[in-house]
Amino acid sequence: MSGVVSFAARKGNRPRMRIGLLRLTDGAPVIVAHEFGFFADEGIEAELVVEPSWANIADKLAFGFLDAAVIVPPLAFAVELGLRGTAQPLIIPYAISAGGNTVTLSRSLAQETHERANREGVSIVEALAACLRGRSVTFGVVHAYSTHNLLLRYWLATAGFEAGRDFKLAVVPPARAVEALVAGQIAGFCAGAPWGDVARRAGVGATVATSHDIWRNAPEKALAVRTHWADEQPEALAGAIRAMLRAARFCDNPENGTYTAALLSRRKYLDVDPHAILASLPGAAAPETGCIFFRGAATFPWRSHGLWFLSEMRRWALVDASIDLRALAERVYRPDLYRSAIAHLGEPAPLADWKLEGAHDAPWTLEAAPTSIDMAADSFCDGAVFDPEATADASASAKDVLHNL
Amino acid sequence: MPGFSFCNMTVPVPLKILLIDMDPNRGRALEEKLSESGYAEILRAPDNLELAETVDRTRPDLIIIDMALPDRDALEDIRAVSAAHPIVMFAGGDDPAFAEEAIAAGVCSYNLSGVALQHVKPIMASAIALFRRFRRVEEELTAARTMLEERRLIERAKAILMQGRKMAEPEAYRWLQKKAMNENRKLAQVVQEFIERHDADADPVTRAGRKQP
Repeated sequence: MSGVVSFAARKGNRPRMRIGLLRLTDGAPVIVAHEFGFFADEGIEAELVVEPSWANIADKLAFGFLDAAVIVPPLAFAVELGLRGTAQPLIIPYAISAGGNTVTLSRSLAQETHERANREGVSIVEALAACLRGRSVTFGVVHAYSTHNLLLRYWLATAGFEAGRDFKLAVVPPARAVEALVAGQIAGFCAGAPWGDVARRAGVGATVATSHDIWRNAPEKALAVRTHWADEQPEALAGAIRAMLRAARFCDNPENGTYTAALLSRRKYLDVDPHAILASLPGAAAPETGCIFFRGAATFPWRSHGLWFLSEMRRWALVDASIDLRALAERVYRPDLYRSAIAHLGEPAPLADWKLEGAHDAPWTLEAAPTSIDMAADSFCDGAVFDPEATADASASAKDVLHNL
Repeated sequence: MPGFSFCNMTVPVPLKILLIDMDPNRGRALEEKLSESGYAEILRAPDNLELAETVDRTRPDLIIIDMALPDRDALEDIRAVSAAHPIVMFAGGDDPAFAEEAIAAGVCSYNLSGVALQHVKPIMASAIALFRRFRRVEEELTAARTMLEERRLIERAKAILMQGRKMAEPEAYRWLQKKAMNENRKLAQVVQEFIERHDADADPVTRAGRKQP
């Protein structure tokens, strides 16, 4: 009898973690960790809440209805700074995925773009820009503070095609993107998986580029946690990181793709065709286009990733230019918590918090302990190299300029 | 229209409110309630993609939206109608408890014209009350449906036992209860599993057919 009581007491004391997510393929590690009992193994009572909008995720984090969320990092910064509503301090102690986004165009525009690229021997983005010059077109992104907005802008800008001047951007929820393409309201959209493949299967869209065509192995979703929650239960946070890592390893194994797709396709999660989900999971026909959950230190919250997002947000005036972006990236991205959480697992963790982004166009080896990590290429489509040190200098000098005015 | 008094505050013109709610009953009820109050002009958003255009054309002071819809993300980017971003639910206001009530009820507002908070609050209070009422009705309905279904399954399980094992009705019921108690599970779960197993044993072909998505 006493066993029953202590079990109940243990159960009652288990820290609760309410995790918000959207209907996207890259929710896989959280869903797997929950369904397989990995959170429970770490003594955490996890509750997954599938939301219809990023705005709900942001508000529910801000008002304490969620403790954590699978989030696009620019939105985490927006919530931290109170840019779109009530502010709430957040940390990112774990990265969830890399890649997985698609630039999907209406079928006729995709065909026109491919034909032009072949005929003139230019890149897809140059062909697309050439096709659209002089036309008034709108592209859809999923939220103003999304990776999709930043990646699409970056990509089109490499062909001299700029938002506001050359084309319009509208926010279109991915679940509505198919009808928006059909209605001709948008010429294309950039969204997370599986929505590009959903549009293809509906016969209305064709994908002309993926995250990898813009930035190879581009960081995508991250786990944002309310700072107050993390401060109150550091053990639970560490346990959640371990549970996610275990699930990430499962999701990254190509052999598990069909299983993961079937699990995600359930009505309470993505509620879409499992084949559309499978197309964006490791093990799919074209592995270069899908989400990455584990390999290549995909789970490590690089501060240089945070600073890249912030620099792009500043570039497009989505964040106040006077903010010390480096300090902000350091405050929100917490590789120290990641390292201490996995310390006794024997899993390698990178030694540095920052790295050059875009410096490798071939596989390379990352210094890590206890063993090094095999990394994939991380180059940008325009060959740029993002040096976090140089960016810090740039923002400091920008401040000096402001002081001098 | 002359000014009128509400909460000791004079509102010079009625507020224009765009209501985005695809539940026709709830939307109509809220529209009626707010119209009766006289301090609001209510517009209903159509269920299509023209949300940004609708906002641009109608220029509402306030948007009230069902949080279960995906369209909030689109609303947050509408700059055409206000100088800055539309203000989400009392952001920067001093009443987080009120915003929490709204979120819990599943309704959210956007302030587009900078109308004062004291004018928005009573309107949102009405919306919160209505959303809560509809949610309660829905929950009660779900609970009632679940109970009916459980009862149906128990009857079915009893019938199987009475026929297959020649038990009397009270005996069959006690047998199911005991099974649930021994397995430390809910009666409904045990009964459902019992019936599934029975059906599977009785007719494997039907079972295979049912497993198809």
